[in-house]
Amino acid sequence: MSVPLEHVLLLSVAIFAIGLACALFRRKFLFILLGVEIMLNAAGLALVAGSAVWRNPEGQVFWMLLAAIAAAEVAVGLSLLIHLHRRRHSGDVDELRSLRG
Amino acid sequence: MDWVLALIPLLPLLGSLAIVLGGRRLPAAAPGIIATVSVAASAAVALLLLPHAAGEGIRSRLFVWLSSEGFAAPFGLVLDPLSAPMAAMVTVVSALIHLYAAGYMREDPGRVRFFALFNLFVFAMLIIVLADNLALLFLGWEGVGFCSYALIGFWFREPKNAAAGQKAFLVTRVGDVFLLVAVLWLLSRLGTTDIVAINAAAPSLPAAGATAVGVLLLLGAAGKSAQLPLMTWLPDAMAGPTPVSALIHAATMVTAGAYLLCRLNPLLSQSPAAAAAVAAVGALTALYAALCALFQREIKRVLAYSTMSQVGYMLLAAGAGAVGASLFHLIVHAFFKALLFMAAGVIIHRFGGENDITRMGGLRREQRALFYLFVAGALCLAGAPLTGGFFSKDAILLSVLERGGGFYRLLFGVAIATALITAVYTFRLLYLVFLGERRSPPPAHPHAIGRSMMVPLWPLAALGLLGGLGNLPGGGWLDGWLAPVAQPPPPASHAAEWALAAAAALMVLAGWALAHRRYRGAAAAAETGLARAFRLGLFADEVVRAALVRPFHALARFSRDWVDDRIIDGGLRGAARGFGGIGAWLSRLANGSLLRYRTALGLGLLGLLAFAVAVVWRP
Amino acid sequence: MALDESTFPWLSLVLFLPLIGAAGSALLSRWPSACRAFALTAALVELGVVAGLFGFSRGDGGWLRMEDFDWIPALGIRYTLGLDGLSLVLVGLAAFLQVVAVLASLGREKSRAGLFYALLFAMESGILGVFLALDLALFYFFWEVMLIPMFFLIGVWGHERRRQAAIKFFLFTLIGSLLMLFSLVALVIVHAKATGQYTFSLLLLRGTELPDGLSHALYLAFLLAFIIKVPLAPLHTWLPDAHTEAPTAGSVILAGLLLKTGVYGLLRIAMPLFPGPAAASLPWLAALGLVGLFYGAGLAFAQRDIKRLVACSSVAHMGLLVVGLCSLDPAGLEGAVLQAVNHGITTGALFVMIGMIDARAGSRDFERLGGLWGRVPRLAAFFLFFNLASMGVPGLNNFAGELLLLIGAFRQNPLVGAAAVGGMVFAAAYTLRLLQGVLWGPPRDEAPMPDLTARETLVLLPLALLALILGIQPGWLQEIFRGSLAALPLLLSGGAP
Repeated sequence: MSVPLEHVLLLSVAIFAIGLACALFRRKFLFILLGVEIMLNAAGLALVAGSAVWRNPEGQVFWMLLAAIAAAEVAVGLSLLIHLHRRRHSGDVDELRSLRG
Repeated sequence: MDWVLALIPLLPLLGSLAIVLGGRRLPAAAPGIIATVSVAASAAVALLLLPHAAGEGIRSRLFVWLSSEGFAAPFGLVLDPLSAPMAAMVTVVSALIHLYAAGYMREDPGRVRFFALFNLFVFAMLIIVLADNLALLFLGWEGVGFCSYALIGFWFREPKNAAAGQKAFLVTRVGDVFLLVAVLWLLSRLGTTDIVAINAAAPSLPAAGATAVGVLLLLGAAGKSAQLPLMTWLPDAMAGPTPVSALIHAATMVTAGAYLLCRLNPLLSQSPAAAAAVAAVGALTALYAALCALFQREIKRVLAYSTMSQVGYMLLAAGAGAVGASLFHLIVHAFFKALLFMAAGVIIHRFGGENDITRMGGLRREQRALFYLFVAGALCLAGAPLTGGFFSKDAILLSVLERGGGFYRLLFGVAIATALITAVYTFRLLYLVFLGERRSPPPAHPHAIGRSMMVPLWPLAALGLLGGLGNLPGGGWLDGWLAPVAQPPPPASHAAEWALAAAAALMVLAGWALAHRRYRGAAAAAETGLARAFRLGLFADEVVRAALVRPFHALARFSRDWVDDRIIDGGLRGAARGFGGIGAWLSRLANGSLLRYRTALGLGLLGLLAFAVAVVWRP
Repeated sequence: MALDESTFPWLSLVLFLPLIGAAGSALLSRWPSACRAFALTAALVELGVVAGLFGFSRGDGGWLRMEDFDWIPALGIRYTLGLDGLSLVLVGLAAFLQVVAVLASLGREKSRAGLFYALLFAMESGILGVFLALDLALFYFFWEVMLIPMFFLIGVWGHERRRQAAIKFFLFTLIGSLLMLFSLVALVIVHAKATGQYTFSLLLLRGTELPDGLSHALYLAFLLAFIIKVPLAPLHTWLPDAHTEAPTAGSVILAGLLLKTGVYGLLRIAMPLFPGPAAASLPWLAALGLVGLFYGAGLAFAQRDIKRLVACSSVAHMGLLVVGLCSLDPAGLEGAVLQAVNHGITTGALFVMIGMIDARAGSRDFERLGGLWGRVPRLAAFFLFFNLASMGVPGLNNFAGELLLLIGAFRQNPLVGAAAVGGMVFAAAYTLRLLQGVLWGPPRDEAPMPDLTARETLVLLPLALLALILGIQPGWLQEIFRGSLAALPLLLSGGAP
């Protein structure tokens, strides 16, 4: 591979950090979901890069599984988001407090 | 043969059982008859066995009651020269009082209970008298305590009767504690509770130990015998039916203390200090009680304090080492005091339930026989010359005088003064009740005095008056009989004896004269402050209440409300609240806010990553 | 005797028979009278089997029977049951009091009666297991099993403040139990390190070499679990609430048996496992016992509820028991075990009677009671009898035990003994207050009150007879367990540093 692994990993970390920041610091549910997606994809990037460098198909297989899980999770999350919108007329996560300890 | 001895206490016990089991199904007079017959049978056995009790006496071991390592308490009885006359007196006097009670309680709805308890009491008292070891004695000791409690509070619907019984039980139990400690100490020192063995081993005890044991025994005896400082229960105990007062508080239970000190006299005499303490307590109580008796208004209370005083004389003699004199007075006193109490019961009946002697009077005209009987008893009590009471009291005074030493001479003075006061209050009683004019109207429906109530009084009067023959001074029969178990009295010069007799007779006459002047025909004058103080027993009750009862109540309440609830439970509740607080604080993390959960998730994730990196980092 | 050589698992039979009673009661709960009959029969059958066990009694200190099977070999846990004189008398007491408890409960309609009796029997199994188990894991198992049915008995069928009482009881006991569990596991591990073998067997764990500090700490944990149960002041505050709020059967088992498991634990487990620390702790325990004797009596005196009064008196009685036990004097130890039995009988009887009084008068408060002697003479007579026994009147059972306790205490330390004797006055104080408040005085009202029924007399009569017999001739009982106690004083004095 022409691109050194370290660069790809750095990119992956950067994207992961962006995704984490997005998930942590946004109030709207949609953006939290987006952040989670970005994090998942960042992890996938790292896996694929490793697969390319060490010529091991397992990384790519892992990424495919990851994509499937991400898709399922997005499906559920979006339906929750729609539910939340219908109930509270706002995408604000702060509204969901009923699961108290 | 020795099982016959066991019949003496067991016959009353069987009587009690029969009464309890028969219960209501028995005809009305049955409980009284069963009770009287069983005690009379016991008296017959006691009298029959009397000759066999000389010297070593008879012993009977039925079974082992309690035992453990280094300790055994058999159910063992011994009839020796000391216990035999005592047992005979207890059974004979009890039988006579039972006869009286059969009439007195004839119509009481609780007579089944009464006679069952009455017989049970006689059983317990005989155990005290006949027990050959202190553990079994303690069984009888507590037994009479319980029976006394139940019989004093017999008419239980009236709270003050039950309260009087309660007081009696509690005060005597304080004494019992001291007695039990003494028994435990003797057991740990000598390895036995057998009385004969203890008396024999007494010289081997260290001086301090002997004194301690002696004082403990004194306190134990003081409880049962209502001596200072455990005497506050006796006057109130008059709340019980008159037969109870006659039996328990004149002839038997209150004499148990004196009897115990006589029984253990070899032990007691090992410590001159303890013996002196016994004598001092006896003398002081005699004086105190006599003064209180002088100012009492209720007839039975006069007799109660009188008993307290006379038992003081018995203790005085025991302390001076004169077992013979003490026992002699004990027996004779039982005769005439029981007589006086039973007569008092009749008197109260005659005045329609009136107790107050200042409201009596003139009974001599109505009840000649009763008057003569009462005079007999009174003369014995006052110690009029040639009565049984005279000889018995004289024997005590002589032995105290002969004991020697300034201390005992002082006690002698106290005893002589008390004799004077005794004569005064006795004749006061006589005058106020029988002579002069009737101060209260006769009852509308005079209660017929059953024949059985008057019959027992005659033999008691006879025994009281003639009892002096039992132990005439200068080598009496009783002293000789007791020789195997008690020190003989020191020989006194004839001159001293006659002088003492004259002095005693003088006291009686002086007392009579004083009473005659003050109380003949005169109604009671207004009560002075001092008189009131003595009537209330020098406020002994109030002292006990303030010093012991109220602090105990306060302490109990304090334990309940403060220590248990606030401190212990409060501490635990505080701990629980603390845990709850921590939990509440922690649960703020789970407040339902998804945003907070997310933050935590993120931080945790970063932390894990940092940790993973730190582990694999190889700079 | 043929029984001795047989390999028939008598002990397991005794242990698990009550569970049949539990299952049967639960199944029959739809038909109350059948359920009650079955419960009574099961209790009596168990009593019969236990009575048969007395045939094994030899009067020496050895094990009369033992049963030993594999259970969890990987952890070294075995199913080991053992019977000696000490456990025999306690097992006998358990079976006897079970009959009393069942009989006492038959009278009144209970909601969910089947479950009630099932729990009673489950508890009996637990208690028997505690007295019989020689494997400490098994012991701990039964120790916890004992607890749970009692929690429900108090919490569901109890009186007004039952929930708080049940929770308090549960937590107190559980804290002690958990400490004991930690200590037990630690002990096993130390033993395993030393010998290379994992075992929970009591007999094998004795004599494990332990460093001083650890041995003291482990002992303390065990001690705590047991003295909470006894209960020793100041850890007693669960007792008044639990006893008072429990239903009659619960109170009988609580006072009669559960408290004794604490004493048993001390004698069988805590002291033999850690002789050194145990010997050092004796003066402290005796002091606390003495405090409990007076404090419990004072507390009892101050109560307004008659049941609570009797409950607090248990603190006093057990305090004296501990004082005598700590003397290690033969008389003191014998008195302790004797008193364990006696207290179960006397206080059990008192709780049964208070249940009867409560049912008739509708109240347990002094303000509303009084004058019962005139209204229900037979009941009152029994009540007087048992109170006299409780107060320690000679001729009845408690005095026999107490005298031995006092002798033991006095011989060991005269001051402690003399102080303990003083407790007699306090015992009289609260007992007389109880009698005064319930039996004497004017009656509150003259409405007719039913006297003892045949069933109630049937419950009280054996208790009264036992109290009388054990008061006049306790020797036969002492013979049974005397030998089992002989080893303890030697062990503790030999192990003292």
